[in-house]
Amino acid sequence: MEEVKIGVYVCWCGTNIAKMVDVEEVAKEIGKYPNVVIARDYKYMCSDPGQELIINDIKKLGLNRVVVSACSPRIHELTFRKALEKAGLNPYLFEMANIREQDSWVHTDRVEATRKAKDLVRAALHKVLFHEPLSERTVEINPATLVIGGGIAGMSAALEIAGAGKKVYLVEKMESLGGMMARLDLTFPGLESARDNLQLTVARVMKDPNIEVYTNTVIRDIFGYVGNFECIISPNFKEDISLQFGNVVVATGLKTFDPSVIPEYKYGQLPDIYTSHEFEGMLTSGRIVRKDGRPPENVAIIHCVGSRNRNYHEYCSRVCCMTALKYANQLRSALPEANIFEIYADMRAMGKGCEELYSLSSRRKIMFLMFDQQGPLPVIRKAGSRDKCDYLITLQEKLSGQDIEVPADMVILMVGTEAREDAKEVAHQVGISMCGNAFFIEKHPKLDPVATTTNGVYIVGSCQGPKDIPDSISQARAAAARILGTIAQGSVTVEVTTANVNEELCCGCQTCIKVCPYTAISFKEEEKVSFVNEILCKGCGTCGSACPTGAITCRHFTDRQLINQIEGLMRMDVEPELKEV
Amino acid sequence: MSQRVDQSLVREVEKFGKGSWNECFHCGNCTAICPLTEEGFLFPRKSYRAMQMGLKQTLASGLEPWLCYYCGDCSTSCPRDANPGETMMILRRYLTSVYDWTGLSKKFYTSHWWEFIFVLILAVIMVILFGFINPNPVDYTLTAEGSVRINAMFPIKWVELGDWAMAILVASLLISNILRMWYKTVIQDKSVKVSLFSYIREFYLLVVHFITQKRFSKCEDKNYWLSHWFLMTGYSIMFAVIVVWLPWFQTEKVYLWYEPQRLLGYYATFGLLFGLIVAGVGRIRKKGVKFRFSHISDWLFIVMLFLTTVTGILVHIFRINGMVEATYISYIVHMAVLVPMVIVEVPFSKWSHLAYRPFAVYFANLKKSGQPVKASVQS
Repeated sequence: MEEVKIGVYVCWCGTNIAKMVDVEEVAKEIGKYPNVVIARDYKYMCSDPGQELIINDIKKLGLNRVVVSACSPRIHELTFRKALEKAGLNPYLFEMANIREQDSWVHTDRVEATRKAKDLVRAALHKVLFHEPLSERTVEINPATLVIGGGIAGMSAALEIAGAGKKVYLVEKMESLGGMMARLDLTFPGLESARDNLQLTVARVMKDPNIEVYTNTVIRDIFGYVGNFECIISPNFKEDISLQFGNVVVATGLKTFDPSVIPEYKYGQLPDIYTSHEFEGMLTSGRIVRKDGRPPENVAIIHCVGSRNRNYHEYCSRVCCMTALKYANQLRSALPEANIFEIYADMRAMGKGCEELYSLSSRRKIMFLMFDQQGPLPVIRKAGSRDKCDYLITLQEKLSGQDIEVPADMVILMVGTEAREDAKEVAHQVGISMCGNAFFIEKHPKLDPVATTTNGVYIVGSCQGPKDIPDSISQARAAAARILGTIAQGSVTVEVTTANVNEELCCGCQTCIKVCPYTAISFKEEEKVSFVNEILCKGCGTCGSACPTGAITCRHFTDRQLINQIEGLMRMDVEPELKEV
Repeated sequence: MSQRVDQSLVREVEKFGKGSWNECFHCGNCTAICPLTEEGFLFPRKSYRAMQMGLKQTLASGLEPWLCYYCGDCSTSCPRDANPGETMMILRRYLTSVYDWTGLSKKFYTSHWWEFIFVLILAVIMVILFGFINPNPVDYTLTAEGSVRINAMFPIKWVELGDWAMAILVASLLISNILRMWYKTVIQDKSVKVSLFSYIREFYLLVVHFITQKRFSKCEDKNYWLSHWFLMTGYSIMFAVIVVWLPWFQTEKVYLWYEPQRLLGYYATFGLLFGLIVAGVGRIRKKGVKFRFSHISDWLFIVMLFLTTVTGILVHIFRINGMVEATYISYIVHMAVLVPMVIVEVPFSKWSHLAYRPFAVYFANLKKSGQPVKASVQS
């Protein structure tokens, strides 16, 4: 067997590590261990000269294992693996010890921090001994795409992909395309017609030869993996059709909050209390009147209904503030003499043209009254015969500190938005996760906002969280670009650090199938053993730790590797000694 | 008890001066920078807010606008150019009309024509009274010192009687309005109970504030305090000597320069001219925030007081130099300006602040010294 030659590189990370860890001391100490051929410290290992150092050592000294002791592997593991590859070494013969996030940044005692750094590097040293070369695998990509949801986000994604000449299946549950946007009259902040813009998009979708539209259609089941998905749909709830595609865009949107659960607002109990969506309908019809046909003299618009409130939803629904200002402006134009009240908690007018709309509204004689979200909600009650209005809204006005009553003949509740009831079903079908509020979770909240943890599945629009039209479209086009990228490559690289079942040891208990969060494990009925679909597997290791017989091995995290790593970590006072492979 | 918001109030207050009602976003910089605001009497933001929301009762029961001397620091530091200082000025006009039970104050403030015509009618009455009804002929005989016999041309008895009639009319109007102010701001405020002892104890401060105007001196720019103080003392002294002590002040005998009549007269004239010139030039040049906006009532006040002072000086000069006709005519003009000015300005317009300001300080001190009453519903 080939002799193990390890190179150890301790990074300063400028002063990030060096100020709390004596990196020279660590390198010196680790250099004494058997099999360690070279131990260096350097200012920035991730820099080009830092990587060159490793590459040169591999070539000159014939290293066959590398340990870099620096930052989190989430940041630079790939960087160093590539360096190894460049030097002709298998990239998996590498291990990283995190002495920044897990050491220098969180400790204040330099001596102790240095000791911990040595322990972490020793652990990595023990583990890397047992690393095995692994080879990356790729799968072919089916160039068709499935888009779930025919709202503005779904249609935008479909148009973008189809525009590049690729096939798109657009599946919509409802009878027609358009989603939430079809229910809007004008859009904020420019007060342009939503319908005009939407009809243009719908017409383009219907005309596009590359888009196959299935309305009134639900998806029965989706299976497969990135590049090779398949689903069964039943258009118009009739015969089942099977579709094949390589990527999925989830654009299922959201629904509005039901305000009847808020006792203070008496929605459903008093006649002229409307949700914002009901009021949109009134605007579209062009007649703003009470149930009895008279136009209102006092209109109150209450913000944050079901949003930003611990009892309902804690998050901000994002579009309601600007929608409320839009209403106030439309009301002012329609009813020049009416008293218009905006009862708000905080005015969130971020983005282009929004603060301007706010200023414009206040100049149009609209009264803004603030209530405290932490305090009691405003209360709507029926007015007396002498009050000269239908309802009275009582609240503690925050800016004046006074208890006030607001006259109203019509109340508009700016209902928040929430995840759809069927979000869980969709999440399960495509294998993605949901946050506490049942919105779908992106792969990375900052750096990867449209991808999900399941390769080939992308989330766009408000199924990912409350969003306005331009943001939904931006996301849709971003996802389309990602998908077109993978289609152009023709294949994608899939995870190699996957789980593997030793069929000799598997007892067929199916524990692993229950715990797998990616539905990557299936059961082979004839052999009565579990089987891992390596394309779906993310290598999370859950099955490996749950397996009672030790039949499941996770590549790159084998039992032997981990036990040895722990031993390395714990053996602080024992003489340096490494086992031979 | 919750108050009804009222969108129409803004439109109503707008008639008292041009405001920037919607600009304020309630950052509170104005209140933070104000050297006069204090716990319990926070302004200008809170008054601004009450105005925006149309809380009539809050405004009517608030003393805050009178506690402001308009140094303009709030408007300078306002990030939205909402002019909180000018808003307080407008609210003072509005409050003057709220206290006034005759309704004339509102008419004068909100309609130029009402004010002009009222002044004109009074001026014509004065001209008729002194020029035509007055039975005494123009008296060409001079005194031993060679000055005009003014009291012979305009019998001092009748003038004094008229003076007293005017003073009683004006005082009763002003006092009744102050009582209304007291009722609205102190009595109707159920959150505090003021003892009789407090009324007596705090009274001396009313006098002190009236004489010294010391709250004004807390503002950053002390120059305005000085010119305002000269104007106020000059006006008060002149008002006292020509209305209350006329027979002592205006006699056949021309006093020597060191005698109190002459000294008081000269001081008052100097005080008035100095104060008026600072205010007039300031307003023309729009110098500083304080003088940036001028309502018609501000100008009318300055112009009429200036004319009164100038005609008064002329009467004095003509008289001691024995110029009979000139004295006669300038005296009638003097009266035709002075009387309308006093009747219009003192109870109904800008001059009323001479009373409302020190009384507001007095009422505020009463409220501060009073026993707080626990509200039945506290949230």
